[in-house]
This record gives sequence, C-alpha cells and structure tokens, in this order.
Amino acid sequence: MSAEQAILQRWIERTLKSYPDGMAGFLGEERDPFRNPVGHTLRENLTTLLQELMGTMDQKRVAPALDALVRMRAVQNFSPAEAVRFVFGLRQAVFEVSGAVPDSLATRIDELALMAFDQYMSCREQIFELRAKEIRRRAQYAAFEEGEEP
Amino acid sequence: MQEKLIQIEQEPPRGDWRDPHVEFHKGAMCYSAAAKNLTYLGLPNPRTWQPTDSNWKLPPDWKKIILAGMKERLKKYRSFRLFMDICVRCGACADKCQFYLGSADPKNMPVARAELMRSIYRRYFTLTGRIFGSLAGGRELTEDVIKEWYSYYYQCTECRRCSVYCPYGIDTAEITMMGRELLTLIGCNINWVMEPVANCYRTGNHLGIQPHGFKDSIDFAANEASEITGLKIEAPINRKGAEVLFVMPSADYFATPHYYTLLGYLMLFHQIGLDYTVSAYASEGGNFGFFASHELMKRLNAKIYDEAKRLGVKWILGGECGHMWRVLHQYMDTMNGPADFLEVPVSPFTGTVFENARSTKMVHICEFTADLIHHGKLKLDPSRNDHWRVTYHDSCNPARGMGLLEEPRYILHQVSRRFHEMPENTIREQTFCCGSGAGLGTDENLEVRLRGGFPRANAVRYVKQKHGVNLLTCICAIDKATLPTLLEYWVPGVEVGGVHELVGNALVMTGEKERTTDLRGEPLASAALPASGEMEAVHA
Ligand code: SF4
Ligand code: SF4
Repeated sequence: MSAEQAILQRWIERTLKSYPDGMAGFLGEERDPFRNPVGHTLRENLTTLLQELMGTMDQKRVAPALDALVRMRAVQNFSPAEAVRFVFGLRQAVFEVSGAVPDSLATRIDELALMAFDQYMSCREQIFELRAKEIRRRAQYAAFEEGEEP
Repeated sequence: MQEKLIQIEQEPPRGDWRDPHVEFHKGAMCYSAAAKNLTYLGLPNPRTWQPTDSNWKLPPDWKKIILAGMKERLKKYRSFRLFMDICVRCGACADKCQFYLGSADPKNMPVARAELMRSIYRRYFTLTGRIFGSLAGGRELTEDVIKEWYSYYYQCTECRRCSVYCPYGIDTAEITMMGRELLTLIGCNINWVMEPVANCYRTGNHLGIQPHGFKDSIDFAANEASEITGLKIEAPINRKGAEVLFVMPSADYFATPHYYTLLGYLMLFHQIGLDYTVSAYASEGGNFGFFASHELMKRLNAKIYDEAKRLGVKWILGGECGHMWRVLHQYMDTMNGPADFLEVPVSPFTGTVFENARSTKMVHICEFTADLIHHGKLKLDPSRNDHWRVTYHDSCNPARGMGLLEEPRYILHQVSRRFHEMPENTIREQTFCCGSGAGLGTDENLEVRLRGGFPRANAVRYVKQKHGVNLLTCICAIDKATLPTLLEYWVPGVEVGGVHELVGNALVMTGEKERTTDLRGEPLASAALPASGEMEAVHA
C-alpha cells in the first residue's frame, strides 16, 4: 500500500467514526454505490480531494467533491463543527502515516476547511430557502380554501 | 497538539438503542397536531404542545391506555402479533431503509424500529419478559419510550421496502401503523396528518376546498386544455348516470406540477369520448387517515363508494395517486365493500375486462391507458416529448403496495423516445421512497426528508450524469409535491412530472390545432431529433 493509499484509508476511517456506533462497518464495507450512498459519497469524494490536495488543487474537481460531502453532512444531524471536522481528519491521517505534516499541505488543508465552512453555510441557507419556498407554495394553495370553518 | 486533536475526534457517545432518550431538533421533526383538528375528529387529548416541550401533557392514565390498546390490537390483528413474535433478528432488512441509509442512524434500521415496540411487547405480553424484564429483551414503558415512538414512527414512510427483503415477510410498515395508532390514543399526532384528515372529513379533500372552489379549479383546467388544443374540452362534475366516476388526488387540481397531469387526463378523456364524471364530494383520492389509524382511513375512504352509488356509475377510474391505491388494494374491499352495486370494469373502447378489479371495481389510470395504447386506440407523437430525457420513479404504494410496475413503463416507452431506467436495485419492488410519504412531507421536517430522500436522489443523479436525464416521472401526488424540493437540493436541473402529462403532450387529438408548446407552455423541441429517431438505450 502506497503512503497516499494509507493516508486515504485512515482519512476515510476517521470520517466514518463521526457516525454513530456500529455504523462504520456498513458504511465502510458495502461497495454498491446505490445500496450505500453515504459510504460511497464519502469514499469517492475523499479520494478526489486527497488527489487534488497532493496534486494541483484543480478547483473544477475540488469544488464538486467538497460540495457532495458537505451537502450530505449538512443534513445529517451534525453540529456545524462536526459537519466539517472531517477536513482536519486528514491532518491526523498524514501525521500517523508520515510522522509529519508538510507546511504546504497543512496550508491547503486549512484552505479546504475554510471552503468547507462556506459550503456548509450555503447548504444551510439553501435548506431554509427551500423551506420558505414550500411555505409560500402552501400559502398560495390555501388561497383556494375559501372561508374557514367556525 | 496532535494528540489533543485526536482526542477531540473520538466518536460521540450516542449510546445503545435500548436507551429511549431522543432529542428533537427543529427542522428535523414534525409539529404536533393542532387541538382544533383533534377536536373536530373527536380524537383524545387535544391540547397545545410541541415535541420539543419537556412535558407532553399526556393523559394521567396514558400507560394503561397504551397497554390496553396494544392488547386489543394484538388480538384484532393477527399480523401484528406474528410480527412481534417471529423476527429472528437476521438483519436482512437492516440496511434496506432509506432513512437508515441517508441518516446513518441505527434506530432507523427497520429491525430496530420494530424493536422499539417489540421490547414493550416482550416486557408486558410475554411470560419471560414479565419475569426477566430486560434480560429477555424487554423494556419498561416510560414517557421517553412514547417520545421515541413519536420520533421514529414519524421517520418511517410506511413504504414497505424493508418487507421485500425479510425472509419471514415481516412488514415494518404495519408496525409503524400500530405505533401511530397507539400514539393517537393519547393524542400524540402530527399536524401534517391530522389537518388534512380534518379537512377531508369536512369538505371531501385535504386542503378543505369547498364544492364551488373545486368546480372553479376543474373548469379552469378544462379551459386551459381547450386553449392548448383548440378543442372544446369539458370536465363533467357530479353528473348522475355517467358510466365512470373518476377520482384523483386533490393536488392534481391545485398544485404544480400535478396540474399538468390533470390536463393530460382531461385531454385523454375528451379524445376517446369517455362517459365519465368527477365528483366534488369524492374530490380526494388521497387518504391521510391511513397515516394515523385504521378507523380514520375507513371514515375517509367510505366517500368513494358512497359517491359511486349516489351517482349511479358502473365503475371507478382512479388517477395518479400513491396511497389511494394502497388503501384500495389492501383495505377498501373489506373495509367499505362489497361494492356489489357496481359492475366489473370493462373498457368501453377495447372490451378489456379488468379482472384484477373484479371485487374493488376500481381501475388505475395507467392500466386503462396502457390497454388503450396496446389496442392501438391512441395516436401518439412521442417526438413532442423530445425535450425531456425521462426516467421513472416507482412510487412505493403503486409499485410495492399493488404491483403496478409494467403499465407506467409501457406508456412511457410509447410517449417518449428518451427513456432511461435508474439502476436495478433502486427501482420496481426495490424502489427507494421519496422520503416524504405517510405524512412526513412537511417543510418543518425537511432535513429528515432530505436524508430519507438521499438514496433516491443519488440514483437520479446517476442517470442525469450518464444520460442527461432532466425529468423524473412518477404517479403519486406526494412524490410530485415533495420530489421537486428534494431534487433542487440534491440534483438540480431535474424536473418532476406525471406519466399522463407526457401522454397529454404526445396525444394526437382529432381536430386539434398544431401544438407549439407542451402542457407547461414550454416550446417543443421536435426538430432536435430525426422524426423516426432511434430509441436511446433503455437501461442504465
Ligand atoms: S421507511 Fe420503509 S423501509 Fe424504512 S422502516 Fe419504514 S417501511 Fe421499512
Ligand atoms: S429481515 Fe425480518 S426476520 Fe430479519 S431482522 Fe428484519 S424483520 Fe427480523
């Protein structure tokens, strides 16, 4: 196993640990993307992010991968900090495998964390907008309801 | 420093499932039923409260009521006792629930959801449980258990996906139904179920639309269908002596995108010359009573046969509705039948006898239309749907609840040239629920819906990326109401529509003017594909 693979493995495991007891097994092991959408989303996008962090940080790949992860975690009953904490998990993963985190990588991880916060906020805002939209739609329909019952 | 960070990252202690304590979070729970709705329906313990309150104001003898209610139901419903007894905890159902898959919350495993009730059953209704308590898998019935039931029986859409995989056929949906019935006995209901039920009881439909409002909506749609086609399309209301009573979910005439499906029905009925009527009394196919108790379901369902009798029709045709069909298929005949005043449905155009509807006397619009197409009774121009790349979401109730799998697909293949299935383990009997059924589709519960709908959206995203799918069709009013929000969050760029909306687009009508737009008023894209264009690959 290459160092990068070992880091990825640890990063995925750390992220899985943020889910309730007993969940890591299923989320980590079931490989069918449709039977295990959460595990699949984690694995696929953490892989992309690691490649980019170690590579050229191509925004066209970083942004959608980060979005997929944060979008999912933004509705999974995590506090804001818990939702984006997975980004910092990479620091530990690198440390455990390599014994040190190079400055350049540490900076990129920090950058990524800030992007994750932004993305988290925009997902939460979108949820509120979607709620507001449903309420407005409901109010429109209620206009059909002529005359409340006593 | 590093060590400390690692410490912080330890998994949060979320405890084991036997601990009934739950936290209610705003945005991820349903509001309680308003007292006026319970009062209107004559249901127990109307009061002002919310799940986030520490005191739920239960009746003083709530425990006695629940245990007596359980006892009664264990006797009345054999399936309930069986489901309580026979689970071997093999785990086959565990990872099949979309709420579990989307939330990664172990209490959303179907087997755990059932265990919330089963542990009480063991403790109070089995000998070993009474003696050994928790050693025999029993739990004390406490207020926390009631709160836990409310949380988890309102995080289940009664979709039955889990039951498909259980070797014993245990249907966790039925356990959820029992849970909700028991909660009803002590006034722990959600408003999104009880308000529609109260409205429906009062006016015949969920929104409380009165007869003149109903007539306005239907007339409006008939006018619009006339404008689109240049024909004089009418929609008869309360017409005695019609051959067929047509019943649809009320959303079809007051909500979008349902409304385009209504236009499709009206155009179809006009073209074939169906002798039919709609009814201002049976103006709701949906039945939210089903989401609270058998008794409420029966009360609301009764109006369909009553109205068929009053109007003197021969048989009933039903529109694109989800749980209307589950109620019809599983309960209507025994609950409010026999409908011996009706005739076995026969299509007046093809002579087909709908044997499957011999006892209920009610035919699904997709069965009816597929039969018309099969017999060459409709002229269709699928190129009018070329601006859509279509996939089909099997709505849980028609698919798993009544086995309607082929008819909608047969129709879609005839009315569109760009149809792509989602992956096999997400459709047909294995379909993932929209995550908003059974009364959960309210805005205050959006986060739970987004979690539960994630597996469905994940499969939609796949066909969008692979085939450019931009329309998710379905035959359920709740789907049409809630999937647009779901897709906007998870897969922007995919719209939601009905099967009969696409039928309306493709239907070539006698004497119609040339169509330049679809039923939504969007320009047609017929030029984009060659007239006899090849069908695209059908399977993902
Ligand atoms: S939501 Fe569906 S799959 Fe999940 S427990 Fe309920 S019936 Fe089973
Ligand atoms: S599949 Fe059936 S028997 Fe197995 S755990 Fe689930 S409900 Fe129990």
